[in-house]
Amino acid sequence: MLHDHTTFVDYELPRLTPLAPNLVGASFFLMKLLPARFMLDQAERSGKLKPGGRICETTSGTFGLALAMLSAVRGYHLTLVSDNALDSTLQYRLCDLGAHLEIVERPGATGGFQQARLDRVNDYLAQYPDAFCPRQYENPDNPRAYASVAELITERLGNIDTLIGTVGSGGSMSGLARMLRLSNPDLKVIGIDTPASVVFGQKDGPRALRGLGNSLMPKNVDHCQFDEVHWVTAAEAYQATRELHRTHALFQGGTSGAAFMVARWWAAHKPEQKSVVIFPDEGNRYTSTIYNDTYLQAMEGWSDRLLEAPLTVTDPSCHIYRWSRHNWNRRSLGGEPHV
Amino acid sequence: MDGNREYTPNLLINRAVVPIGSVGAYKAGHGNATGHHGEIIQGAMRNQDRIIHRFLVTLPCNELYTQARFEPSLQLAGHIIVPDDKAKSRMAIEITLKYLNRSDFGGQLHLRSNIEKGFGMGSSTTDVVATIRAVADAFGRPLLPEIVAHLAVAAETASDAIMFEDNCVMFAQRRGVVLEYLGSGLPPLHVLSINTARDAPLDTVATPAARYSDWELQSFCALSGMIRRAIRTGDPYLLGRVATASATISQRHIPKPAFEEIQVIARANDACGVQVSHSGTVVGLLFNAFCPNLNVMVESASKDLSSIGMAPDFRFSTLHRRHEYAS
Ligand SMILES: Cc1ncc(COP(=O)(O)O)c(C=O)c1O
Repeated sequence: MLHDHTTFVDYELPRLTPLAPNLVGASFFLMKLLPARFMLDQAERSGKLKPGGRICETTSGTFGLALAMLSAVRGYHLTLVSDNALDSTLQYRLCDLGAHLEIVERPGATGGFQQARLDRVNDYLAQYPDAFCPRQYENPDNPRAYASVAELITERLGNIDTLIGTVGSGGSMSGLARMLRLSNPDLKVIGIDTPASVVFGQKDGPRALRGLGNSLMPKNVDHCQFDEVHWVTAAEAYQATRELHRTHALFQGGTSGAAFMVARWWAAHKPEQKSVVIFPDEGNRYTSTIYNDTYLQAMEGWSDRLLEAPLTVTDPSCHIYRWSRHNWNRRSLGGEPHV
Repeated sequence: MDGNREYTPNLLINRAVVPIGSVGAYKAGHGNATGHHGEIIQGAMRNQDRIIHRFLVTLPCNELYTQARFEPSLQLAGHIIVPDDKAKSRMAIEITLKYLNRSDFGGQLHLRSNIEKGFGMGSSTTDVVATIRAVADAFGRPLLPEIVAHLAVAAETASDAIMFEDNCVMFAQRRGVVLEYLGSGLPPLHVLSINTARDAPLDTVATPAARYSDWELQSFCALSGMIRRAIRTGDPYLLGRVATASATISQRHIPKPAFEEIQVIARANDACGVQVSHSGTVVGLLFNAFCPNLNVMVESASKDLSSIGMAPDFRFSTLHRRHEYAS
């Protein structure tokens, strides 16, 4: 079967919006559409995914939505394994797109819900050995998918000095960093994580901010690409998400807010550097939470004032309770900094 | 790159149109072609239909050229005389005569060139293109560069994009088609030419085509954005970044000796970048041709290059042709 591979071309790419003289925001509707499409393309090409075949993946967020959109258009049977973190708006949408949902009720003994979900996926794959599992956390086609974004950025903006964005699977930032560094080895890369995420060395724990951070270490995080790491709390990210909407009319999700807060600070302190910040998804999914004042005011750690600057920490495993930063220095995980 | 759909070029070769009134007219024809100094970028990428296209953007060099003279002859009918080692030119004549509906002709070809073989400066493609142009000229039928490109690839399997002269194109060198028209000229570049292996010319035809990894295919796509902007805005520095990136990828396929050292010298002397002949031996240091202290920079870089045994052979500029027009 031949699909029209250009179906989502316009949907996949970000819109570029100037936020300051030296800062451009790249706003996606749904960033995950790009890696999801590329991973399916590659699986189709290699024969791992047959026409009308089965796809199974663990997700509670936007990657599942992207897979569901693609499966609806390309005619695949999609099973998504998720947990209670899946909000009802997204759930309705996934069902409408024909995805089959499996909700995991209890966390695993180790690795929390994420491990329990992975176990469920493996059960499914044992039952249907022909099924394709994209495995966005380790599939190298996830970071590779971002070529068209690097193409767009360089075509519209030329060379840039700094790339700022959130890290979940690590695909977007690791892939973009690597591609942009081909033409600019001096590119500064700033990754944004959240407290109690293991990605940059915090101890695993409950996290209110979703989409970025992780309970397990994703293979797709290429630690050597990051010069600087920031940790942002949920309350800070939401506050900044609203600020992004109020001041720039960009209606984006919570991870975009986290990225915006860091980018605004960076751009103000580095006027000579041209920076690009990645905003991964738009705001409709969050109307009853981030865009709801009553919800926000009831949040733990809520404050009406946005922090001006981060705290600098030298130990990434220390207790982090507010926006903090650390000079990661492109070191590998547990490795020595590059000099 | 297995399991990919093949692209079939829409070959115009057999669609000859003979203009009324010119049937039968012929004379000795002349054709010129300028050589090049390798490529700004050469690689492969998937287009939106996921087909892999190999492509290149040539760096033309007006100091290098081939001149061809073709004497058509009805008496020679089908018999073609070319200089000794010029089998590709023979092929080019046959294909061009067929395209022009003049296969009843034979003829003799004379070639003159200042391009050495085996260093990746277009000795073969300039022979072929000058020949095609000379044959076309013999029958008073100037050909569009797009047609010359089709004919050249039919004659020699893979061609450099020199038939487009100063027009920058992203050229599918094994299909003879333009993937994208980038603009009407490269940014103002001054090129310092180094032959990294003067004693070891390459047989470019026997050199297998590079097999690019998935990462590399995606990287070329990322770089395509920057080359578009570099040419659109005439920015030599941006162009230098693209050239350096492509040269770096090329090191994994056809490595140039002393590439790292040359890069260090380029940076130390404020060059825009380093450019290579991706299937040859020459390397170019790219400078902004409008830089006020250009000569100082180039002299200093030459000295540094000589000190590592890589003394430059010559220098040229992408402005050359436009100056000629202006004067
Ligand atoms: C809303 C949102 N923001 C950011 C990210 C992080 O992107 P990546 O997985 O490429 O690191 C994700 C990933 O799922 C996401 O859903």
